[in-house]
Amino acid sequence: MSSQHAIELHNVAKTYRGKVHALRGVDMRVARGEVFCLLGPNGAGKSTLVKILMTVIRPSRCEGSVLGQRVGHKPTLARVGYLPEHHQFPGYLTGAQVIDHFGAMCGVPRAARKKRTGELLELVGMSDWGAKRMRAYSKGMRQRIGNAQALINDPELVLLDEPTDGVDPVGRRDIRAILTRLKDEGRTVFINSHLLSELEMVCDRVAILVQGLVRSQGAITDLTQDRRYYNIVLDAQPEQATSAFAALAPAPAPGERGALDSGEWFEVEGPAMRIGTDDPNRIKPLLSSLMAAGATIRELRHVRPSLEDLFMEAVTDPTTGQTLAPGASKTRKGGAK
Amino acid sequence: MIISQTLAMLIDAYRELNARKLFWITMGLNVFVVVLYASLGINDKGVTFLHWQFENDVFNTRFVSPELFYKTQFVTWGIPVWLSWIATILALVSTAGMAPDLIAAGAIETMLSKPIGRVRLFLTKYTAGLLFVALQVFIFSLGCVLVMWIRGGVLVPSLFLAVPIVLVFFSYLFAMCALIGLVTRSTVAALLLTILFWFVVFLVNQADDTLLLQREGTALRVEDLETNLEQQRALAQKRLQQLDERGETIRDTDDREITDPDQRMYAVNPALRFSETRLDDARESNENWSDWSGRATLIKTILPKTQETIALLSRYMLNENDIKTLLAQQTGAEPADEQDELPALADPRAPERVEMVKRRRSVAWVLGTSLLYEGVLLGLCCLIFRRRDF
Repeated sequence: MSSQHAIELHNVAKTYRGKVHALRGVDMRVARGEVFCLLGPNGAGKSTLVKILMTVIRPSRCEGSVLGQRVGHKPTLARVGYLPEHHQFPGYLTGAQVIDHFGAMCGVPRAARKKRTGELLELVGMSDWGAKRMRAYSKGMRQRIGNAQALINDPELVLLDEPTDGVDPVGRRDIRAILTRLKDEGRTVFINSHLLSELEMVCDRVAILVQGLVRSQGAITDLTQDRRYYNIVLDAQPEQATSAFAALAPAPAPGERGALDSGEWFEVEGPAMRIGTDDPNRIKPLLSSLMAAGATIRELRHVRPSLEDLFMEAVTDPTTGQTLAPGASKTRKGGAK
Repeated sequence: MIISQTLAMLIDAYRELNARKLFWITMGLNVFVVVLYASLGINDKGVTFLHWQFENDVFNTRFVSPELFYKTQFVTWGIPVWLSWIATILALVSTAGMAPDLIAAGAIETMLSKPIGRVRLFLTKYTAGLLFVALQVFIFSLGCVLVMWIRGGVLVPSLFLAVPIVLVFFSYLFAMCALIGLVTRSTVAALLLTILFWFVVFLVNQADDTLLLQREGTALRVEDLETNLEQQRALAQKRLQQLDERGETIRDTDDREITDPDQRMYAVNPALRFSETRLDDARESNENWSDWSGRATLIKTILPKTQETIALLSRYMLNENDIKTLLAQQTGAEPADEQDELPALADPRAPERVEMVKRRRSVAWVLGTSLLYEGVLLGLCCLIFRRRDF
């Protein structure tokens, strides 16, 4: 069975004892060769979802595939690399032994393991520490070894649960470089992390999971498409600015959006005007009109929402404006929002 | 891939053992016990330890050959005391963490994410856990074989049977330990509850031994009384015959002639009635103890036969004649005097009978039912491990 998707999930649900609904019908697609990031607040069900993919947890309901095989198909896991969150590798093993051990567990031949262990230690910057026991490692070092063991079987799909947890800035940069390299090699990378700024630099697509449901999913550019705008700030008092903006379009009611003749939305707030477009060519005539009206432009900036903005929007209740409570639900059932 | 994974887990188990101090402490103790064993000797005066001489009327080369002496020490102390108790407790302390460590948060996720089925993963880990005992017993047995060869002058390779036998014995406890560890996720709970379970099994074994001793003691008394009664009857019969030949009649207290044959016997031997009553009492007592012994055996059937499993080694190493020789020399056993009113437990012939009864228990019963118990426990472990979310 082959599929263009490395991961394809439909209607995945997990209810723990005590009727805790960790996942309530997750639909998700991860294309082959992309870096996919799963975001969500604490207790949203991210780790549960990853564990279901890795057969650590049995789903209550699940349709879908991993690398073209049904979820839970054990032999497929030989082609998957996994770094669990809060992993604990035996302290009596050296870093090299940990990598070798999990390689053997994946069925990697001995000669290949030996060769690849050295390469991976080099890759994660642990060559000098490979012969030392894990118990002597710092948290960041253990994380580096964890990342290396996830790659020992030359996986087509790599699932990394908080790969930069405990890693210093230099290490994070290295891990980002590794992720980029994995992507360049055509591997699919599925990352579960809280470090939004880190993810933004490497991921192609994201899914935001909130209370067991996918709140939004897609490429960052697509998800931020409607939220990009140009911000024009005039060097004028608010009253003067309002009259200058009136040359472009009638002013909307306070707190509301107006529409330009060209169709873009706009908002006015003091001497600032936000115009909902991503196209600089649409801005040029507006700037000309403003300058013709005698306005002095102090600032012109193209604003693109960050991943954090998307995340915060997803975890905010639109009706109350309050951040949604973290954790799974004990009352909500599958599919209900 | 199966071989690669199995080897990886066995190597990991060895590395884990190697990293544990207790493993090396136990190994050191094993060597120490072997050295003690080698320090023992036997000559025509008795037993020697290093350069000290302990005169003994039983253990000397006039009655016991060096070969039998060393074999006896091995099956009397080496296996039942050292390997079955002290080394087993140390092994349990070392391996009780197998299941809790396997399912510890942070460790189990990585293992389960590999292309290996849960049942195979658990069973391989379980088998790897037995490696501790296998290595310890092998080293101990090797040392003892060398001692027997050098000091006893006989090469006894069958002594290596201790490895599988002690391994099977330990696996009964280890299966319980794994189950408790899997359910409670606690090494301490697994260790303490397993030792408690072992104690219960020990008590059942002791109860079985005691009841068996009572049963065989009362059976011996029945046999003695039956023999005695037969002799008394024969004597009475002879006396009656003599009276008949002389034409004399037997009369009761009212001077009436007694014609009933039984009454005639009682008349010539009044103690006969008393002996019959004693025999009836003894038979009733024997039936009673047999019932209780049967119940104890029934309970034992569903429990692991720890004691009998270990005793299998002495079956192979000491034949029945060896046992009889040793028991006879230790107890000075002779048939009890019919007049002795010894309690059944005190009959010196009873232990030998008990030993023979236990030896006649089939290997299939001893190992079969114990392995069935272990299979049930491991089945439960697999069921729990397979269905649990981590």
